[in-house]
Amino acid sequence: MAPNEGRGRLRASDADREQAVEVLKAAFVHDRLAKTEFEAHVGRALASRTYAELAAVTAGIPAPPSTVQPPGTSSPMAEQRTRRKISQAELAQAVGVSRQTVILIENGRYLPSLPLAFTIARFFGQTADDMFRSSSRPASRVARWWSA
Amino acid sequence: MMTFIPPRLRKPAIYALAGVLFAAAWLVRGGPLWWVSIMAVLGTAVGAVRLFLVGGTDTDEGARAGSRADERQQLISLRSRALACNLAAVTSFIGLTAAIAVKATWGWPFLVTFLITGYGYLLGLGNYGIAEEGTPDDADTGHQTRHPVSS
Repeated sequence: MAPNEGRGRLRASDADREQAVEVLKAAFVHDRLAKTEFEAHVGRALASRTYAELAAVTAGIPAPPSTVQPPGTSSPMAEQRTRRKISQAELAQAVGVSRQTVILIENGRYLPSLPLAFTIARFFGQTADDMFRSSSRPASRVARWWSA
Repeated sequence: MMTFIPPRLRKPAIYALAGVLFAAAWLVRGGPLWWVSIMAVLGTAVGAVRLFLVGGTDTDEGARAGSRADERQQLISLRSRALACNLAAVTSFIGLTAAIAVKATWGWPFLVTFLITGYGYLLGLGNYGIAEEGTPDDADTGHQTRHPVSS
């Protein structure tokens, strides 16, 4: 008997079911699941008793993406900066932070304070919401769904 | 006073001053261990020069050493100092309770450290405004303040 088959028979805990629901939520947020599919999958996940049943629910759905910006994609701030042909060091000097902080903000690994966010947005002639929209957009869609 | 010193020299200057005071203490103490003060001065000089050189580098450590840290780097320093103070408070409390348990006379430094960290914490709460809660804006209408998301 394969090890995975043995694990599949084990009873899943509430935490396992919640983890599966989180995977489904992330897939829904990133348009990998339609609303009807999402609701059906969540229902099945909550009714699952074993790991095998849970695995079947989340089969074919990739793991939720990391909050770290993947290489090759860019944040709105990085897009604005490259469009204007400004180096990270120049932007850092203009808004009064270190180059490392600019890199971390662009990678999504540091959320700037409100004054700094406004300073950066003003520098590019944008609103803070436009500059840092990537972190707020997924949450708003989930909120819309839950409130519907 | 610190504003008269260029930012890059501030940390090395504090470091050098601490080293000189430490060396002076050994000199005042006298006795056969007077050479420790020479070693302390030499070690401090090397450390201060290293701190000055690090302060010129384009790194997080360089920004902190050069007294030009931005908000993120200041936050890192703040968290590190908070952790150090927490450890000092916990360690002093353990030392104090151990000294009480074995009826030792060496417990008073732990007591002093514990009181200083505790008083410093209360001082921080007072200085940074936690006591200034203010009056709810609907206090005069007689309505009870409600959380915005509660139904």
